Amino acid sequence: MLIILYSSKPSWADQVEEEGDEGKQLANLLASTLPPSKETVKGNIKTITEYKIDEDGKKFKIIRTFKIETRKASKAVARRKNWKKFGNSEYDPPGPNVADTTVSDDVFMVFISSKEDLNAQDQEEDPMNKLKGQKIVSCRICKGDHWTTRCPYKDTLGPMQKELAEQLGLSTGDTTKSAGDEPEPATPAAGSKTGKYVPPSLRDGSTRRGESMQPNRRADDNATIRVTNLSEDTRETDLQELFRPFGSISRIYLAKDKNTGQSKGFAFISFHRREDAARAIAGVSGFGYDHLILNVEWAKPSNN
Amino acid sequence: MKPILLQGHERSITQIKYNREGDLLFTVAKDTVANVWYSVNGERLGTYNGHTGAVWCVDCDWDTKNVLTGSADNSCRLWDCETGKQLAMLNTSSAVRTCGFDFSGNIIMFSTDKQMGYQCYLNYFDLRDPQQIEDNQPYLTVPCAESKITSAVWGPLGEFVIAGHENGEINQFSAKSGEILKKVKEHSKQINDIQTSVDLTMVITASKDCSSKLFDSTTLDHIKTFKTERPVNSAAISPIMDHVVMGGGQEAMEVTTTSTRIGKFEARFFHAAYEEEFGRVKGHFGPINCVAFHPDGKSYSSGGEDGYTRIHYFDPQYFDFELEA
Repeated sequence: MLIILYSSKPSWADQVEEEGDEGKQLANLLASTLPPSKETVKGNIKTITEYKIDEDGKKFKIIRTFKIETRKASKAVARRKNWKKFGNSEYDPPGPNVADTTVSDDVFMVFISSKEDLNAQDQEEDPMNKLKGQKIVSCRICKGDHWTTRCPYKDTLGPMQKELAEQLGLSTGDTTKSAGDEPEPATPAAGSKTGKYVPPSLRDGSTRRGESMQPNRRADDNATIRVTNLSEDTRETDLQELFRPFGSISRIYLAKDKNTGQSKGFAFISFHRREDAARAIAGVSGFGYDHLILNVEWAKPSNN
Repeated sequence: MKPILLQGHERSITQIKYNREGDLLFTVAKDTVANVWYSVNGERLGTYNGHTGAVWCVDCDWDTKNVLTGSADNSCRLWDCETGKQLAMLNTSSAVRTCGFDFSGNIIMFSTDKQMGYQCYLNYFDLRDPQQIEDNQPYLTVPCAESKITSAVWGPLGEFVIAGHENGEINQFSAKSGEILKKVKEHSKQINDIQTSVDLTMVITASKDCSSKLFDSTTLDHIKTFKTERPVNSAAISPIMDHVVMGGGQEAMEVTTTSTRIGKFEARFFHAAYEEEFGRVKGHFGPINCVAFHPDGKSYSSGGEDGYTRIHYFDPQYFDFELEA
């Protein structure tokens, strides 16, 4: 029989940080008389409580919890488990030393196989998959399923079409007339062949102002909710799991710390439909998630 | 899975090895200490202090009594596993690149680098004869004039050593006469690592030519090839599944110019029979220099150029996973 101590990453909720003035006063008072560290074993959970003061005079209470696991092993292994530590670890207390052993973030094995393709077929209800078949973007040059600027035939077909268009009398000057919703395939980019400057107001598309961008943006804002009081460990995938049952999600933005990559505790979720968003608010607000109570509300429209 | 991160080294890991039962994990790096850890919880048992240069290789005998390390300080040292005391020091004229105990734990072999005007040698010592250690006189020395040994393991029954060379050759060197028993050249570039299967019937090589190959240890027949697009630094065979894990990435000198996203620093799992990749595990932010399977097959560890060793306990999904043919 042997005892193995597992260190578990303490949740931030367990780590009490006494900050600010109050903490400083306390620290000054208690600088010399720090409570001794306590060790309690309750069932198979061992808790170590330590007190520490850092350079700023802030006092910390560090609670570490360990799970004690008893495992059966062969005699030789059990005997080795009781060996005394040596070398640079000679003075380490029993159990893993946090200085050189830490438990890192969850990683998953990414499985690569034809299985994944099967899974994709199962998810046919996913609206994004339906969209895949349709042409959202159409190239002006080759009519392909990509943006015009990304067209592989941009350099070959493009100029040819322009020349063709010019022969047909569709020079840049005339384009203002055809600036309606006529999807001219050969509409040349402003100021191309003739080299003449065309003011933006006269360029193609000047009449339909921001038509492509604005309405979407609006719809987006309308169906966006703000989730706060998220735990630090939250990931985008967690949010996706949590909110997917309410309807199709168009965008998830999880605020993260630039340096550590940890969540800042709030996120914006945009749904495709406002009703879904409303249901999500009703459903998730006050929901206990990862030992915190979530707060969900409509996102205030952003200023920009 | 939540990997256990071992931060016992200040420089890149060169080799990691489990003992026979797998309860201990030995790690060596380009700094001067060798570390030993309890694999179950990542607790450090101790360090073997004494080397004065990068430690290239480590091995432990079958009953976990002795530990052997080879270093660029021109020495190969024998340690008492339990106390960390140095039992013997064998001086060489150039860096020790590979070392190993035979299965009996009585005979050790190590190879030295072709360096500073010295040739590459493969040396055999019998530990039962203290005179050999005292006089630093191996009972057998094999010079390798053509291409230096970059990796080596003991073959089955302690009859020969299987060595991988800088030019991609694999040779079997007899432990009795020193002659070359078999010779194959399946790789076009340096062989970075050779590891055996748990029953010593197969060996897997990891080569700079971006592939890893499975060989029969006795006949050196080429069995399988696993191809990647980066140099492979290390490969290991699972003791319980038909799986192979490979670690690699681009060369250390190019690391700073590429991001981790495209650096391909993942450990890659291949099916041993179908030669097909089925899984990847991320985590290191430098190339993986060494991988090793726990002898029970339920966990594996990897040591990277980033100086960390990570012990991974597989999730149940790994054991349930079946590759479709």
